[in-house]
Amino acid sequence: MRVGSPGLDRSAVVWVGAALALVALMALPLGWLVALSVSGERGITLDHYRAVLSDVALRKAVWNTLVLAFWVGLGSIAIGAPLAWLTARTDVPARRTIRTLVLASFVTPPFLGAFAWVMLAGPNAGLLNKMWRGVTGADEALLNIFSMPGLIFVVTLYTFPYVYIMIANTLALIASDLEEAASILGASRLAVALTVTLPMVLPALVSGFILAVLQALALFGSPAILALPAGFHTITTQIWSFFHFPPKTEMAAAFSIPLLLATALLLLVQKRILGRRGYAAIGGKGGQRRAIALGRWRWPAFAGCLVVMACSIFLPYGILAKAALSRAWAQPLTWDNLTLANFSFTFFEYGATHDAIVNTLELGVATATIGAGLVALLAYITTRRLVRGHQLIGFLALAPVVIPGVVLAVALFIAYTRPPLVLYGTLAILFIAYLTKEMPVGYAQSDATFRGIPPELEDAGRILGAGRLRILRDVTAPLARSGIIAAWCFIFIGVIRELSASIILFTPATKVMSVVIFDLKEEGQFGAIAVLGLVMLVLTFATVAIVQAALGRDVLGVRE
Amino acid sequence: MPGVSIRGLTQRYGDLAAVENLSLEVAPGELVALLGPSGCGKTTTLRLVAGFLTPESGEIWVGDRCLSSPASVVPPERRRMAMIFQSYALWPHMTVAQNVAYGLRFKGGMNRADRARRITEMLRVVQLAGYDQRYPGELSGGQQQRVAVARALVVEPEILLLDEPLSNLDANLREEMRFEIRRLHEAFAITTLYVTHDQAEAMVISDRIAVLERGRVVQTGTADEVFGQPRTRFVAEFIGRTNLLDGVAVATDTVAIGRLQLRVAGGGLTPGTRVAVSIRPHAIALGEPTDRPTPGANVLQGTVRRASFLGDSVDYEIAVADSDIVLRVVTPVGVPRRRAGEVVGLAVDAAACVTLAEASA
Repeated sequence: MRVGSPGLDRSAVVWVGAALALVALMALPLGWLVALSVSGERGITLDHYRAVLSDVALRKAVWNTLVLAFWVGLGSIAIGAPLAWLTARTDVPARRTIRTLVLASFVTPPFLGAFAWVMLAGPNAGLLNKMWRGVTGADEALLNIFSMPGLIFVVTLYTFPYVYIMIANTLALIASDLEEAASILGASRLAVALTVTLPMVLPALVSGFILAVLQALALFGSPAILALPAGFHTITTQIWSFFHFPPKTEMAAAFSIPLLLATALLLLVQKRILGRRGYAAIGGKGGQRRAIALGRWRWPAFAGCLVVMACSIFLPYGILAKAALSRAWAQPLTWDNLTLANFSFTFFEYGATHDAIVNTLELGVATATIGAGLVALLAYITTRRLVRGHQLIGFLALAPVVIPGVVLAVALFIAYTRPPLVLYGTLAILFIAYLTKEMPVGYAQSDATFRGIPPELEDAGRILGAGRLRILRDVTAPLARSGIIAAWCFIFIGVIRELSASIILFTPATKVMSVVIFDLKEEGQFGAIAVLGLVMLVLTFATVAIVQAALGRDVLGVRE
Repeated sequence: MPGVSIRGLTQRYGDLAAVENLSLEVAPGELVALLGPSGCGKTTTLRLVAGFLTPESGEIWVGDRCLSSPASVVPPERRRMAMIFQSYALWPHMTVAQNVAYGLRFKGGMNRADRARRITEMLRVVQLAGYDQRYPGELSGGQQQRVAVARALVVEPEILLLDEPLSNLDANLREEMRFEIRRLHEAFAITTLYVTHDQAEAMVISDRIAVLERGRVVQTGTADEVFGQPRTRFVAEFIGRTNLLDGVAVATDTVAIGRLQLRVAGGGLTPGTRVAVSIRPHAIALGEPTDRPTPGANVLQGTVRRASFLGDSVDYEIAVADSDIVLRVVTPVGVPRRRAGEVVGLAVDAAACVTLAEASA
C-alpha cells in the first residue's frame, strides 16, 4: 500500500538515516567482532575458537554460567510464579504493597543487591553471620555468599520479577469463568489448577524461565562481585578479564560469539512460545476475576511473601542505608558510629565519584533524550507504515536485545579503537553502547504508544485540511506525549544502572557511577558505595514515579 | 456543488482485490449508500475517495478535478471533503468546541468571531448547545456521534464521507440517528457517500444504494428498485429475506422447479437456461387449498411445518406439495392463523417472482 503522494524522496531520507544509524550501532561493531574472532596473522583462522574451547579454565567458566543460569531460571519460577498467583488471584494480605515491592526489586540494580548481600552474608564480617555467631556462639559462618549457591541466590532475588511479570500479566487475562466452567463440570480445585489454569500459564512460565536464564547469562556485576572472590569465573567475567593487561581481544571476541548465539537462540525459542500465547487472552476481556479465599493459608502465604521481600528489599536496602550513615558499616549503628562523612566524601572530596555522577547524568539524559526521539520516530514510521519495508525497521530496532552488554562492549571496543572512528576513551562510545542496548526497550514502549493512537484520529484531521506534519503537532504528539515520556524514563533507568558494557568501555576520564561503585569495592570503601548506591536508587525510583504518573499504571504492566 | 465520479477503480492488498474495476456516479447533492457485507471493499472505496490510498488503477473525479489516479493523488487535506468515522475519531485531548473548530483553522477568510458563531450555530444544529467545553470522554456515544457530525459539517465540505457512522450506537439511538442524518442531508444537500452493512440504514438514509460484492458494484438503484428487482442472487439475499428457487426456463415467462411451474415477472427468458427465482416471504398469500386461482397468480399447495408468532407478523415455514421446496411466508397478524400440519393454499403473483442472473456477477 502506498500512502499519500508518491513518497520516494521521503523513504530515501529515512532509509539512509536508519541505515547509517544501524551501521554505527550494530553492523560495524558486530562485523568487527566476528572478523577479529577469526583473524590470524596469516588470514582467516579458527585458532582463537580452538584456544577458547580447549582451555580447561574457559570450559569451566562456561559450565559455571550454565549452572548459574539454569538454577536462576528455576529459582525465579519457584519465587515468581507463586508470588504472581498470590497477588493476582488470591486474598493474600497487602497485595498491592507486595506488587510494589516486586517492582522495586525489578528496578534495583542487581550489583547493588550483590554488594548489600556481601555486607549481609560475607563469611567474616557479614551482619547475618555475626548475629548467628552472637546467638549460637559458633565459630563457623552460617552463610557464605561467596559461593555458587550464594551467587544463584542473589541473582535470583533480582531476576524473579521477570517471571512474576509474565505470569501476573497472563493470569490477569484469564477470567474466573474459565476455571468455574471446569468446577461446574465436577473438577476439584486441584484438577482445575492442573487442567485449566496451569496449561494456560504454561507458555508464560516457560517464557519467563527463558527470560530469567537470559538475564543470568548476560549478567556481569553479581558474578564479578560474588564469584571472583570465590575463585571462579562465568563467561561474562571471563570476557572482562581478557581485557586485563595484556589484552587478548581476539580471545574475547571468540568467547563472545557463542554467548551471542545462545542468547539469540533462546530468544527465538521464547518468541515461538509467546507467539502462540494468544489463547490465554481469548474471552479474557470483560471476564471477572474473583479472588480465591486462602482460608487458614492466608497468613502463612503472606509470611512467605514477606521472606522474599526481606531478602530482596528490606535487608539489602537496610544495610545500604546503615553503611551510608555509619563510620564503620560492620559496627552497630550507635551515636558514635553515626556520620554524614560518607556523603561529603562521595559528593565533594573524592574526585572520581563526583565526576562519575556528572558523567552518568549527562549520559543518562543524552541517551534518553536522543533515544526517546529516535524510537518515537521509528515507531511512528513503522506503526503508520510510512515507508516500504517498515517491518524491517521494527525488527532491527528490537534486534539489539540479543546482544549481552559485555558482548556489545567487546564489539564496540574493537570497532571504535581503530580508524575511521576512534571513539574509545570518550563518552561517545558509552553513549553508543547505551543507545544500542536500550533501544529495544524504548522501541517496544513507543510502538505500544503509537499503536494505542488510532490512525483515524490522524485521518480525521487530514481530511479536514491539516497536512501530515501539522497533524503530528496537533494530534499525534499530544496523545503520544506520556508514552514518549515513559520511553525516556525506561532508557534513563537502564543507562544509570548499566555496568556490564561500561566496565569494558570506560577509561579513567569517562567513569560512570556503576563503574566507580565497582572500583570502590577494590578499595573497601563500603560507605561511599552505599552512598552512590542510594543516589542510584533515588534516581531510579524518582524516574519510576514519573513513568507511573505518565502512564497511569505501574511499570510492570499488569492491568488492575 | 460537484458530484463524484469513480471510474474503474482497483485496489489490491497482496493478491486479494479489495476493490476491482469499480465505477460509480454520484450526482451533485445526492446521498449514495455503499452497501455490502464486511470485506466487500466499501471502506477501501471510501478511503480511496478520501485520498488516504493511492489506486492501482482507475480515477476519482470531483466535478472537473481529477483527485486520484495511479499517477497522482491529491492529499486528503486538499480535497475539500469531510469524513465521519466509525469510531468517531474525536480527539480526546480537545474539547468539543476545539474538535469542531479544528477544520476551520484551514479555511481562510474567517475571523475569530465568525468562527465562534459558526461553531455555536453548528452545535445548536446537532443539539449540543452548551456542551462546547466538555471533553469527548465526558459525552455519551450518541453525543460523541453528534460532535463528529458537527466537526464534519461545519467546514461546509464539497463532499461528505461517512464510514459506518452508526454501528457503534445501540439499536434505539441508531434508528433515531438515521432520521437525523437524513434530516441534515436534506438541510445541507452535500454530495455524500455513506458506507454501511445495514440494509435498513441504507434504505432510510440514501437517495440511491450501490450494492457491493467482492469489490464490485453489482447493482445501483433506489431502495425500492434494489429490494423489488434484485438483479443477482447476492443482492436478493443480502437485502431483506427471500426465498430462492433454482429452476430451468421452459418458456419466456415460465420457470420449472422440479414438477412445479412458476410464471415469473417480465419474460424474455431463453427456454432451457438455468434460472433462479426470488420470492419475498411477504409476497406469498396464504389461503384455503380449495381457493380458486386469481388470474395471473401462481397457485400452490403446501403443508405448514412451523408457525412462529413474532408480535407484528407471523412467520411460517411451508413445505410445498409435490416438491422438496420449503417456502418462508410472512403474513400480517390479521390474517387467520394456521397451525403446523394444516394444508394451505399459496398464491404468488407472477410479478413477485423475480428472476435473477444465475451466477453472481
